[in-house]
Amino acid sequence: MGKQKIKNQIRRLRFEASEMTQAELAEKAGVTRQTIIALEAQKYSPSLELAFRISKIFDVPLEEVFQYN
Amino acid sequence: MQFLNDYSNRELNIWAELVLDLIVSIYFFPKLFLLIISGDIHSNESIILITTTIFISIAYSIVVFTIINIFKESEKKDERDYIFELKSYKISNTIFQISILFLICWLFFTPLGNHYEFTPTLIAAFLIIITLFCSAVKSVSLLYFYRRSI
Repeated sequence: MGKQKIKNQIRRLRFEASEMTQAELAEKAGVTRQTIIALEAQKYSPSLELAFRISKIFDVPLEEVFQYN
Repeated sequence: MQFLNDYSNRELNIWAELVLDLIVSIYFFPKLFLLIISGDIHSNESIILITTTIFISIAYSIVVFTIINIFKESEKKDERDYIFELKSYKISNTIFQISILFLICWLFFTPLGNHYEFTPTLIAAFLIIITLFCSAVKSVSLLYFYRRSI
């Protein structure tokens, strides 16, 4: 995995969404909490489907959650 | 108990698999080599050894995996788990294929007069060794992928 080219703003968006917990986000996105931890640590690039699900949960465009460097 | 808290249910299951490989190796290999040295590899003793090894594996699996699943809540698999599983299966399958190729080459290039050495029992023993090794590689690579992404 190493250094990911895809960056994300999940941690910031979680706090802006009434301090949503990792477990809550994981449940809404249909993944495990470990996957959210890995995503926030920028150590895992999600599938396109998961990326869309997460952006829908926060109700923001995809590019606001994920950025490609 | 700290160990239980540090690892997820899935990682504990992988650790249990790794320990099973170790237990089987410690039990199986010394006895197998003793049989080879004493020349009893073609006897009923080697069949008993293989059967006992399989029985120990089944008994261990029932007890340990039940305990893990009782004390640690199991999680639903997601895309990350499937990706890691695919990667580790790919690594272990490549090693399995290479090992089988070596075994076939060994059989193929052994002089005709020595072919009696390759009895079904001995080949079964080699297959167990290869399977154990590949299983250990799969577990180690899975643990590596999980730990690296945390």
